[in-house]
Amino acid sequence: MTADTQRWIRPCTLVYLVLVGLTLVTWVAGRLGLQGMGVTFFVLGLALLKGQLIGDGFMGLRHVRGFWRWAILTWLVGVGALVGVAFFLSSGLH
Amino acid sequence: MLVGERSMTRGSNLPDTTRYPPGDLAVWIFILAELAVFAIFFVAYAFTRMQHVVLFDQYQATLDRNAALLNTLALITASYFVVRAVAAIREGRVEGCRRWLWAATGMGLLFLLIKSTEYAHHLGEGVRLSSNTFYMFYLSLTFFHFMHVILGVIVLLVLAARVGRGCYDARDHADVESGASYWHMVDLVWLILFPLVYVMH
Amino acid sequence: MQYQSQAVAKLYFTAAIGLFAGQILFGLILGLQYVVGDFLFPAIPFNVARMVHTNLLIVWILFGFMGAAYYLVPEEAERELHSPGLAVLMFWVFLVAGALTILGYLLVPYSGLAQMTGNDLLPTMGREFLEQPTITKIGIVIVALAFLYNIGMTILSGRKTVVNLVLLIGLTGLAVLFLFAFYNPDNLVKDKFYWWWVVHLWVEGVWELILGSILAFVLIKTTGVDREVIEKWLYVIIAMTLITGIIGTGHHYYWIGTPEYWQWWGSVFSALEPIPFFMMTVFAFNMVNRRRRNHPNKAAVLWALGTAVMAFLGAGVWGFLHTLAPVNYYTHGSQITAAHGHMAFYGAYAMIVLTIISYAMPMMRGRKAANSNRSQVLEMWSFWLMTVSMVFITLFLTGAGILQVYLQRYSDNPLPFMVVQEKIALFYWLREVTGLVFLIGLVLYIASFFVGSKDPEVAVEQAASPTA
Repeated sequence: MTADTQRWIRPCTLVYLVLVGLTLVTWVAGRLGLQGMGVTFFVLGLALLKGQLIGDGFMGLRHVRGFWRWAILTWLVGVGALVGVAFFLSSGLH
Repeated sequence: MLVGERSMTRGSNLPDTTRYPPGDLAVWIFILAELAVFAIFFVAYAFTRMQHVVLFDQYQATLDRNAALLNTLALITASYFVVRAVAAIREGRVEGCRRWLWAATGMGLLFLLIKSTEYAHHLGEGVRLSSNTFYMFYLSLTFFHFMHVILGVIVLLVLAARVGRGCYDARDHADVESGASYWHMVDLVWLILFPLVYVMH
Repeated sequence: MQYQSQAVAKLYFTAAIGLFAGQILFGLILGLQYVVGDFLFPAIPFNVARMVHTNLLIVWILFGFMGAAYYLVPEEAERELHSPGLAVLMFWVFLVAGALTILGYLLVPYSGLAQMTGNDLLPTMGREFLEQPTITKIGIVIVALAFLYNIGMTILSGRKTVVNLVLLIGLTGLAVLFLFAFYNPDNLVKDKFYWWWVVHLWVEGVWELILGSILAFVLIKTTGVDREVIEKWLYVIIAMTLITGIIGTGHHYYWIGTPEYWQWWGSVFSALEPIPFFMMTVFAFNMVNRRRRNHPNKAAVLWALGTAVMAFLGAGVWGFLHTLAPVNYYTHGSQITAAHGHMAFYGAYAMIVLTIISYAMPMMRGRKAANSNRSQVLEMWSFWLMTVSMVFITLFLTGAGILQVYLQRYSDNPLPFMVVQEKIALFYWLREVTGLVFLIGLVLYIASFFVGSKDPEVAVEQAASPTA
């Protein structure tokens, strides 16, 4: 990368670094053995956020309009909601 | 590099938005179908866990989170390299594209290696599909994903070879974009799988 | 017809239609035996009628597939068939072997047939759909090998197209998987386990590839849409078919003594089996909407669209109806299965064979592209009669199935099998009457080959949009 680059970092590199950072946060949460509904939903939320970064940033859906713009996000929200409901309900079953 | 920066962000020389995502539409329909398979598996995992919370938490603790972290980083890095490969071919830098694709392939192979050692460890301990419901899901989900990584690596290898033979240039590179989209899907699925199976309890 | 050797397909198609008629006649006998148990007893007992009905189906579909391959492979490869003589010889071998086998079923008690044909040496008989005597099975393998050799040589030395390659993969898979018909372990669980490798992996695996490639061929020819577009769809459809279909075999492994994880694998993957069929429907309608010309053979286009819709309904929707393990726990082996079987086989495989026959037959009988208007109108009438009556047969059997499952397996005081059979007799009667309508459709279909054959051909209309 040469000095005449307008920005100090490529947008995709920034996305990459954010993804790495969020992954480490998830890992630390697991490492510390943190428990509880709040932590579970925090981790799930991070995963969905990472998914959206992949869809928008890496897969290039940011530049798409119409159905495909929302395809990945819809998938993430659908999966996230159902998984979230299951984990929420099972917390009462301990 | 300035030109590269533009096409990476789809600057002024490209229309702001398009109706269809990069690559072949048929591949995107395939990606949606694949995502549907994984969605069903994820939701089935979560709801089955409701009935066996203690069992799931107990055996989840036997998984190697460090290996999973390395694997996540390997896949994200591979995805990043793939993005750079697509950016390179859009700028007409064929050699750069080829190198990024090889680098991504290397990361994919690293994933397969780490995952294989995990499998070897679990199988050595006598873990099987029939051991218990958690392991059934763990092995099914991760192995199904494992197969996708293998396919993804093959796709990247073929693309790298074809790029090397000069099959693509700045104008004609839809196959590279299709392969890249498929690889990102493999990455995306793992990003959900990792917290779901390894972390959340 | 661009190549002389394509004409061998005519033999195969004629035999297919003849055997189709036989299948329907035995279907009517069988349907009546559901309600009049001793009809034609002891000449044709229920089990024999059932065996003949299902075996004729498989054989005529195979004739249809082979005819389709002999017709479309030379045209795609842009060369004559490797050996038309071998194709004719194998036709007669297959027809005679098939006829002798059916006669054996009808004239000799099954155990006697087993003895006569030396089943002791290599026991393979006695399993549903694979009832054929071992020597017939060996004959099928020989015919299949000769057929593959003939087709393979033509494809390998000619133009390679995606349609041809997918067809070749499908036909090779068909032949290879049939070899499991010779594996007959004493362990009943293993026996069933591998039996499905023939039965399931045929109809929900390799046959779908054959279906996809024939459909793609007819659509390329009748719509004039770019081959590249159609090929891309074909790739995606077969990839999805294989992913869902292969592991979807698990929906047969729920209750036969196999490990529990099959309930998950089977449920998840077979829940997705409708997807490739749905894609096929979208694909067919899309291509017809984007057509560059109005093909004069309207009947063939109707069959092609009908196949896409009915395959999705019969194989996709009616399959999904009972593939989830918790549902299948109650429904397996009930009339729900029969409903699915009828619409799936008709919608996917009978109709695709009728599609390629409808497209190819006029040209093999000396027309330029299509039959006369009168003939086509009659053929389209037969399409609607057969298709609509199959929809009703399926609905009646579904009704029978739901009632059966409830009375026999789900209610608080489950009733014995035969008591329930009497209670659902009304549905069986309705099915039988609808079957007669189907027969009328079939008669019209056969008549359409003779009606208006002296009339002038439907004129080639102007292209929908001018193309280079």
